Amino acid sequence: MSPNVTLYIALGFYAAGTLVALISLFTREVRTQHAGLVLMIVGWLSHTFWIGTICARTGHPPLTNLPEAASFIAWTVFLAEMILFFRYRVDAAAFFVYPLVLMLLTVSAVVREPFAQMDPALRSGLFTAHVLLSTVGVAALLVGLAFTLLAFMQDRSLKSKQRGPLWEWIPSLNVCRTLSYRTLAIGFSIYTLGILAGILWSYRTTAELIDLRTKQIGAIVAWVLFAMLLQLFIKGAYRARRTMVISACAFVATLIAILGIHHV
Amino acid sequence: MSNALLLIGLNHRTAPVEVRERLSISDAQQESTLHDVKSMAGIEGVAVLSTCNRVEAIVSATGEDVIESIVNWLCQRGQVERGDLEKHLYVLRYEDVIKHVFRVASGLDSMVVGEPQIGGQVRAAFLAAQRCNALDGLLERLFEETMRVAKRVRTDTGIGEHAVSVPYAAVELARKIFGDMRGLQALLLGAGEISELTAEHLNKSGVTQILVANRSHDRAQELARRFNGQAVYFEDLEPHLRSCDIVIASTAAPHFVIEPAQVEGALRQRKTPTLFLIDLSVPRNIDPSVGKIDGAYLYNIDDLQQVVDSNRELRLQKAGQAETLVTREVDSFRRRLLAQEAVPTIVELQHVLEAIRASELEKCLRNVGPITAEQRQAIEMLTTQMINKILHYPILRLKESTREPQEHESLRQTIRKIFGLR
Repeated sequence: MSPNVTLYIALGFYAAGTLVALISLFTREVRTQHAGLVLMIVGWLSHTFWIGTICARTGHPPLTNLPEAASFIAWTVFLAEMILFFRYRVDAAAFFVYPLVLMLLTVSAVVREPFAQMDPALRSGLFTAHVLLSTVGVAALLVGLAFTLLAFMQDRSLKSKQRGPLWEWIPSLNVCRTLSYRTLAIGFSIYTLGILAGILWSYRTTAELIDLRTKQIGAIVAWVLFAMLLQLFIKGAYRARRTMVISACAFVATLIAILGIHHV
Repeated sequence: MSNALLLIGLNHRTAPVEVRERLSISDAQQESTLHDVKSMAGIEGVAVLSTCNRVEAIVSATGEDVIESIVNWLCQRGQVERGDLEKHLYVLRYEDVIKHVFRVASGLDSMVVGEPQIGGQVRAAFLAAQRCNALDGLLERLFEETMRVAKRVRTDTGIGEHAVSVPYAAVELARKIFGDMRGLQALLLGAGEISELTAEHLNKSGVTQILVANRSHDRAQELARRFNGQAVYFEDLEPHLRSCDIVIASTAAPHFVIEPAQVEGALRQRKTPTLFLIDLSVPRNIDPSVGKIDGAYLYNIDDLQQVVDSNRELRLQKAGQAETLVTREVDSFRRRLLAQEAVPTIVELQHVLEAIRASELEKCLRNVGPITAEQRQAIEMLTTQMINKILHYPILRLKESTREPQEHESLRQTIRKIFGLR
């Protein structure tokens, strides 16, 4: 059996799970949304199997090219979503996280690249730390952005005194902001360590601190924007619109950084 | 059907309060009432539900003639002329009783749709009957099923989740902002009736400290004592604005007592950039432009009333979903009851045919003479299989007919007649 079969199975379940979750938005039934969650979990298990087969086949984590990195980020994003869901029961995050996971895995399935054996020069602990930390950091930051978006929507509903479509699904403003802050803070710390590991690895191998290509520019811009976002939270100077504008820019910069990943 | 399931009663839609109050049954009278009804001829089980909006007797009886006795008893109890009472009464039978009890316990028949108290009142009524040994098997099953359906309706549709009074709407909004209300601090400005009620609800929801400021400091102290809070001077508002999470204003002042600059200053100095302001006064006490400040959520009395109105509409929408759910549950419960009622007929049928088989086999074997054990076993197996085949379709049809109660009853009677069952 081709290892990609499990990737397509995962993609199918993610698509079905996302569709069912979005349907629950109209039917307003929590049960329907939970059915979507079950489908997503089945997809995630298949996804885990696919990642495992790649690790076994190539002997290194699946992070050497765009499809692998996008897939691993999707896997980590859903893992973070599951942890937060079972801990805090935030149903509304599903409406943003599921499509994001589906989109990332679709990128992975559409952009076909052969499984690459890692260049022996890249088989260093520093490089592995760089890719792993950056990927996990990005996943946490993306989940943090989903909660920032939920907080923004709740803020707008409360301000306008009009219930938005997600009013019943979104937890309290306080919970959204707390989860947003915590995931962003954790994600940002990991992401920073990932970037530092990358800079160190680059310096050791090429004697250059940074090679400014799309991926690197996107990563640095995203880092600056996330730092600004965190500073707003830490100062307690929450401004709904400003937070949302910075979040949107950070999301775009992160996507550019992800899509900029080519063979390393 | 073995027992008739009946409901005789009146409610806020069929009877005015003058009639309802005459028939209402207090907790202390519950036991004697249940005893009176249970002792009537033909009554197997009874539960009595008495709330401010309804008085209903749910009975399981051997026949419908008990209706007459119950109506007479109600007239006697309420000292009402039969003609005067009858026009307010309704009598429901079997499936309609199940549906009615499910709807009542789910809050679908209440004056305020989805109100949560009625579920507890229905439960208490059945538990009281259970304690007095007034429930028979049918009512026991109805009770268990009613509680399960009521819980499912509330969980699946969320019909009771939305506040339909101004104070509750304020608490609901506070929960949407702060989530966990424990440890929050509220500031009560003035002492209007609704603001006191709102503060009371906030207090019950976990708001630990309530500060009260009033032009009359004595009145502030009196209120503070009631909420276990603290009275503060009206003139010292600003430091308290910084420490409070919720402000409820309802003074008689003809001008704004909270201005945007005060709120901006308070928010700047707070750890959490959120302040919920509830302005219940007319003329308003909080400058409306406060609502434009980031982190300040201002609701006046009209805004809260709007929340209440839209919650009512939402409850009505959810009531539609709940009705569908109740209809499905009634159908399922009715079928299970019918299937249970069919069991004695099926068992009796099997016994009768088995007796025929055994006696005819014995006669036959006596005429045939001695046979081997293997031969006897083969004949036993053959005749048993024949009986099973003969019974297969009658039993299957009987089980299938539970979808249609009348068809089921007619089939059950036909089978009993054909096979000569008692």
